[in-house]
Amino acid sequence: MTADNVFDVEHVTLRFGGVVSLNDVSLYQRRGEILAVIGPNGAGKTSLFNSLTGVYQPQEGTITFHRADGRAMTIIGKKAHRVASAGVARTFQASRMFSALSAFDNVKIGAEDHRGFGVVGAMVRGPRTRHDDRRSDEKTVELLRFVGLADRANVLAASLSYGERRRLEIARGLATEPEVLLLDEPAAGTNPAEKLDLARLIRRVRDELGVTILLIEHDMKLVMSLAERLYVLNFGSVIAEGTPADIRTNPVVVEAYLGTSAEASA
Amino acid sequence: MIRSFLQRAPIRRLLVVFGVVAVIELITGPPGSNQYPTSGFTGSYSEAASFFGLFRTQRWVVFLALALVAWGIVELWTRYGATIRARGSSALAGPRQASEKRPVRVGFALALLVLGILLPHILNNAFWQSALVTYVAIYVLLAIGLNVVVGFAGLLDLGYVAFYAIGAYTTAWVTGALPTPPPFGHPLDAFWAIPFAVVFVVIAGVLLGAPTLRLRGDYLAIVTLGFGEIITIFANNLYGITGGATGTKQIPHPVFHVGPIKYSWGLAPVPYYYLALGSVVLFLVIFSLLQRSRVGRAWTAIREDEVAAESLGINPLKFKVMAFAVGAASAGFAGVITASADNFLFPSSFTLTFSINILVLVILGGMGSITGVVVGAIIIQVIQAYLNHTPPSGYQQPDLYIYVGALLITMMIFRPAGLIPSRQRRREINLYEKSHEGHLDEVLLGDDV
Repeated sequence: MTADNVFDVEHVTLRFGGVVSLNDVSLYQRRGEILAVIGPNGAGKTSLFNSLTGVYQPQEGTITFHRADGRAMTIIGKKAHRVASAGVARTFQASRMFSALSAFDNVKIGAEDHRGFGVVGAMVRGPRTRHDDRRSDEKTVELLRFVGLADRANVLAASLSYGERRRLEIARGLATEPEVLLLDEPAAGTNPAEKLDLARLIRRVRDELGVTILLIEHDMKLVMSLAERLYVLNFGSVIAEGTPADIRTNPVVVEAYLGTSAEASA
Repeated sequence: MIRSFLQRAPIRRLLVVFGVVAVIELITGPPGSNQYPTSGFTGSYSEAASFFGLFRTQRWVVFLALALVAWGIVELWTRYGATIRARGSSALAGPRQASEKRPVRVGFALALLVLGILLPHILNNAFWQSALVTYVAIYVLLAIGLNVVVGFAGLLDLGYVAFYAIGAYTTAWVTGALPTPPPFGHPLDAFWAIPFAVVFVVIAGVLLGAPTLRLRGDYLAIVTLGFGEIITIFANNLYGITGGATGTKQIPHPVFHVGPIKYSWGLAPVPYYYLALGSVVLFLVIFSLLQRSRVGRAWTAIREDEVAAESLGINPLKFKVMAFAVGAASAGFAGVITASADNFLFPSSFTLTFSINILVLVILGGMGSITGVVVGAIIIQVIQAYLNHTPPSGYQQPDLYIYVGALLITMMIFRPAGLIPSRQRRREINLYEKSHEGHLDEVLLGDDV
């Protein structure tokens, strides 16, 4: 419960009818930390992400998001767009680009301010609107350069390779100027070389932009090299927490992944 | 032997053409009667007809000739179509590139505007002058408004007629033509109904939108359909407020009176045409500016992927309600112009069919493409006006729906994104279709722009 935490998740339980998706989950994330959540399929990792971003509303527990300016925000009960505007950006497991738009427009939509009702202002293109427009254009170019897609700016998002799409999605998330970036399996569907690039990019996002990273990933090599601390989920509960070295040797984790000897032989 | 002959591609196409022509023959044929129930069927084929004015024969001969000609065209197109298309697109590359440039676009728009202004004087004909208002301008206004809702924000609205009705009834209310007393105690001029109507439809858009736009897809369509019906039923039954089923016949013509400037609209259609043309131009400018703005991009994001849009801080509900309200505004305008030009209004003119007609204009023209929707609306409405004015023998007004329906089916097969599609929409449809066929890379790599 220190002020230096970004997320404080306490006793969160999420149910869908009779199915318990998250069961009394408590965890925290420090500011500036690269934290990973791992676990077998169906362990509740994506449910946790959706609860952290306001997409799902857990029935029990509290999730607090501490902003850099000292203000705190309770996430449960807030709409996803409110959470996003407050500074929590995310990517999706099956990447959700605006496929028929160019890479540039994808990022630009993220860079724009969507609060307020300025229909008339947006239409008339007064000095204020033009200034905002120029700023989001600049930010977009800068971010595309940051993720290494500057030369692909005018390409349709759908024609990008998987690796490029993952990077574009990160750029789009960063365009909202978040404090935390949640990455849902960023390396899914990428080749080994792209994985290496991606790991480097994620570390640069934290080091150069100071964005805290929360990561779900199946690729153990990537997770172990990238994460500073890990949580392991199984059947909706946290079963272990620690540094990569701790986790690798933790018997409970090995059991969750490989099964007990009786189950394994069955 | 016979089977392999029938399975050859040209022969199969010939049989298909025969089938289609036989159906068209039946549709355009004489109606049956109670006495001779089969005469509608037999008459369609064996009724006497003239072979393009050359000699007298029966209908089936004429249609057989048409079928053979159509088959010839289809055969030629399958053989040379690809080449023609490739040549055409390379020949059009220059003009197309020029059309992307801003001065060219503005110049072209101004030229069209001048044509629009001169049109009633070129068509020096009483029917067409009034048809330009009642058939064309009003429908263009409605279609571009519905396009904001359906095309930009991707919301299927089947109750759009409600906003048109609210605009028309507001006019009647403001001018004191309804049993309800007008605002401020005394009747205002019909021209001043415009701000009232716009405010009312925008409020109605927000009131309807705020609770219902949380729904998606089919559910939203059903709720909006219900809203359209509710407005009509209200108009019909609230006798003391709306005048009931007989409506009202006392809406005055508008008068514009500010300081020394005074202009009264009368019975002549041309001044109404200019009023409608002015509103069309106004809304075209507003809608195209909006489409290119931050708001337009937010609409696109919601239409493409609502979840992703929300993760970027876009409030989907807010932007959908905005689309509803903005789109309704032009319907309000259209309602004012129609009511004051006609002087009367009846609840029975605001039906579901009307909403669907407008939707058809939007779909045929090309959802999301302002140019497409305007062109689509003009073409369909001019054809309709022509058919109603000078009906060919045997044509009756409801027949129009058969032809529009056939056109819609043909379009959905060959040009699913509409007559002049918006580039984004066409990509979306291509991506969708290909992703369901499993050849994603084909569309992605082939450049269709």
